[in-house]
Amino acid sequence: MKLIGRVKDGLELQLPLREKDLLWQLLRLYPRIPSNYPRLSKGAGLQASSQHLLEEALAESRGQNQHTLQTLLNDPQRLKPHEGGGWRLKLSIGDVEWLLQVLNDIRVGSWIQLGSPESPLRVLNADTAPDVWAMEMAGSFQMRLLEIIEG
Amino acid sequence: MAETAAPEIKPGEIQEVESESKSELEPGYLVICWNDPVNYMHYVTHVFQKVFGWARKKAEFHMLQVHEQGKSVLVRESLEKAEHYVHQLQKHSLHATMERDE
Repeated sequence: MKLIGRVKDGLELQLPLREKDLLWQLLRLYPRIPSNYPRLSKGAGLQASSQHLLEEALAESRGQNQHTLQTLLNDPQRLKPHEGGGWRLKLSIGDVEWLLQVLNDIRVGSWIQLGSPESPLRVLNADTAPDVWAMEMAGSFQMRLLEIIEG
Repeated sequence: MAETAAPEIKPGEIQEVESESKSELEPGYLVICWNDPVNYMHYVTHVFQKVFGWARKKAEFHMLQVHEQGKSVLVRESLEKAEHYVHQLQKHSLHATMERDE
């Protein structure tokens, strides 16, 4: 993923063919964090209604993200062939923030699927490989996007 | 060297000290971010800047506190505002909770 240039309210990225396929495959995994996973509080001092509010807010956000994701994956105006090879992806600043959020859900959700290990997994097998792949790929795209927007 | 000023309160006199009562200190919910081994430090800093509108230096200070001490108290707010911040942080998949400030 390379920055082609900054345009009004956003940026244009160049994605090599293989990288674009990887990103699209990865994004189709969203959402990965189980809906009952986030807790509002560690203590017992808050009402159940507050926890319910959190779950509602996250469910709404997840629905919006899924809708935006479908738009991105299917909008021919966003992704066009790049004359230098690969693809040209146009993103607004809001899209980039949204993409970071979606990628982190995939990263953290994959980590949860792996059993929330405290240290990096030492055993890679047929069971763990898909989640390790998703976690590492999502992290890699996240870091690249952060470098680009803060560059 | 600056002179030492004469005390305004003489021995034996009782000075009434204005203090904020607990109710004046309300709201009283702490928004806490907890350490985990999966969120990147760089990303956590970015989210703190975005959610709270903090400068990078302040966001990095809290991120390092999370990383080194296991948690950081980010803000103390009313119930509604604390809920709002926790929702925002959790939308970014950070491990954040709110606790009543006893």
